[in-house]
Amino acid sequence: MVKGLYTAYTGMLVEQNRMDILSNNLANAATNGFKKEGSTATAFKDQLALKIKDISENNVAKKLGSVNLGAKVGETYTDWSQGNYKVTDNESDVALDGNGFFAISYTDKSGNTSVKYTRDGAFTVNKDGYLVTKDGDYVLNENGALNNNGSAASYIKLNPNEKYTIDEQGNIFQNGSAVAQLGVADVSDYNYLQEFGENMYDLKNGGQVIKSNATVNQGSLEASNVNVVSEMVDMITISRAYESNQKAIQTIDGTLDKAVNSVGKV
Amino acid sequence: MIRSLWTGASGMIAQQTNVDTISNNLANVNTVGYKAENAEFKSLLYQTMQEKTTSANGANKPIAAQVGLGTRLASTTSDFTQGTLTANSSNSAFGIQGDGFFTVKGSDGKTYYTRNGNFSWSNGTTGTTLCTQDGNNVLDSNGNAIVLPAGTSSDNVTLNSDTGVIGYTDKAGAYHSMNQSIGLAQFANPSGLEKMANSLYGATTASGTALNEYTNTNLTKSVVKQKYLEASNVELSEEMVNLIVAQRAYEMNSKVITTSDDMLSQANQLKR
Repeated sequence: MVKGLYTAYTGMLVEQNRMDILSNNLANAATNGFKKEGSTATAFKDQLALKIKDISENNVAKKLGSVNLGAKVGETYTDWSQGNYKVTDNESDVALDGNGFFAISYTDKSGNTSVKYTRDGAFTVNKDGYLVTKDGDYVLNENGALNNNGSAASYIKLNPNEKYTIDEQGNIFQNGSAVAQLGVADVSDYNYLQEFGENMYDLKNGGQVIKSNATVNQGSLEASNVNVVSEMVDMITISRAYESNQKAIQTIDGTLDKAVNSVGKV
Repeated sequence: MIRSLWTGASGMIAQQTNVDTISNNLANVNTVGYKAENAEFKSLLYQTMQEKTTSANGANKPIAAQVGLGTRLASTTSDFTQGTLTANSSNSAFGIQGDGFFTVKGSDGKTYYTRNGNFSWSNGTTGTTLCTQDGNNVLDSNGNAIVLPAGTSSDNVTLNSDTGVIGYTDKAGAYHSMNQSIGLAQFANPSGLEKMANSLYGATTASGTALNEYTNTNLTKSVVKQKYLEASNVELSEEMVNLIVAQRAYEMNSKVITTSDDMLSQANQLKR
C-alpha cells in the first residue's frame, strides 16, 4: 500500500523534470542555433516480491512475482536536426548547413581558456578587427577548431574597416584575397557534447573533433529547431500524466484513510 | 517545478524585450537615417539534474542529464545597412551613401555622430551656421562649424558629392569654394556605438575612436548627396513577422507558467 505512494511520487518527479526541460525549449524558441532537448524516463529495476511470515503457508517465503517501484530520468538528449534559416543580410552573421559547429575560445572568470562549440553564428567584428561572439568571446580559425587550440594564434583577425565575404568553405576574403578561414569542426560522437549554456557546448573527455563537411552561409542565422506544436502537445501530456500520478496518490491515501479511520468502527 | 516557473518567466522577459525592440523599429519607420535593431538571445546556464545517465539500451552515457534554466538577452544589434536615399527639395538635406557618419557638436561640447542629414541653416553668433534640427552645429572635416560668409544666401549653397567640399554661388553666378568639407567619420566597429536621443550616436571603447574619412587613406570614402535624405532601413514586413513570432513566443512561455502553476496546485491538493 505505502509502496504505491512512493511509486506514484516518482512518476510526478519524472513529469516535473520533463516539464523543466520543455519550458527551457520554449524559453529558447527564439534563441539562435538552439537545439531542442528532451528527456527519457526509465523504469527502476524490477524487484522480486516475496510473501513472508504467512502462517497459512507455514511461514515459508513464497515468490509473488516481480514488482516495479517507479521511474526515473534515463537521459537527456539533444535533437541535432537542422534549424531553419533566417536571412539577415548582415555580413557578420553566418549559419551552418550540415553537421558541424563553430569553435569559440571561452575564458572564464578565473582566466582558464577552453574551446567551446556553438551553432549560433551571430558574430561581430570588434574594434581591433577580431571576429567575436556577441559576448566578446573569440571565434577560432580552422586550425584552432580542429586542434582544440584556443590561444590567441587561432583568433580570426580582419581589417575592421574593410568589407569581407565568407565562402561556403568558411574562407574569409578581404579585398579579393583570403585572410583567414572560419573554423568549423564536427565531433565523432555527439554523446560527448554537453550543454554549457550561452548557446555553447562543451566537449567531454573522450570526445573527438573531426573535420566537418558543413557549408557556411554568410548573411543568415540558424533559428532554433524547437517545434512549437509538439512542445505544446508534450505540455498537455506532461500536465495530465502529472495529474494522474497525483490522482493515484490521492486514491492510495483514500484507501489508507479507510484502513486507519473506518476499519474497526462498529 | 520552481525551475520551470522561472524558466518560463525568463522567456517572457526576453520576448518582452524583443517586442520592445520591434516596436521601437516600427515607431521609427519614418525616422531619417534610423537603423533597425535586432534583439538576440542566448540560453542560460545548465544545471545537472542527474549525474549518471543511460541510453535506451541501458549503456552508460558520458554526459550527465542536464536541464537548462531559460534564456537571456545577448545583445540588441543595430543593422547598419544602407537605407534608401529619397529625394528631398531642401537644399540643406544630405544623404550618405557608404559607411560614414556626419559629425555633430552636442550641446555639452562633445562630438556626436549621426546618419540623419536633415540639416538647416540657423543664424548663430558667428553667422549663418549649418546645424541639425535640434540646433547642434554640424562639423567639417577639421571639427569646425560650417559658417556662411556674410551676405550669402543659404539657398545658393552647393556640395560637391565627390569631394564633400561646400561652396556657394554669388549673385553673378560665380562659384566660390568655402574650402571646407562636410565632416565624415567611420568606426572600426559601428555596432559598438552608443545610441542616444535625436538620432545621435556616441563613440565608445567598443566602437573604437572615430576615423576621419579625409585623413585615413585606407577607408572607403562614402559619398554625400545633397537634396537627398537617407530613409530608415526598417523592413516593415520583416518586423511584422518578428512581431508575430515574439507575441506567440510570449504566449507560449505564459502557458508554461500557467501549466507549472496547475501542477503545483495539484501537488498542493495531495494532502487533504
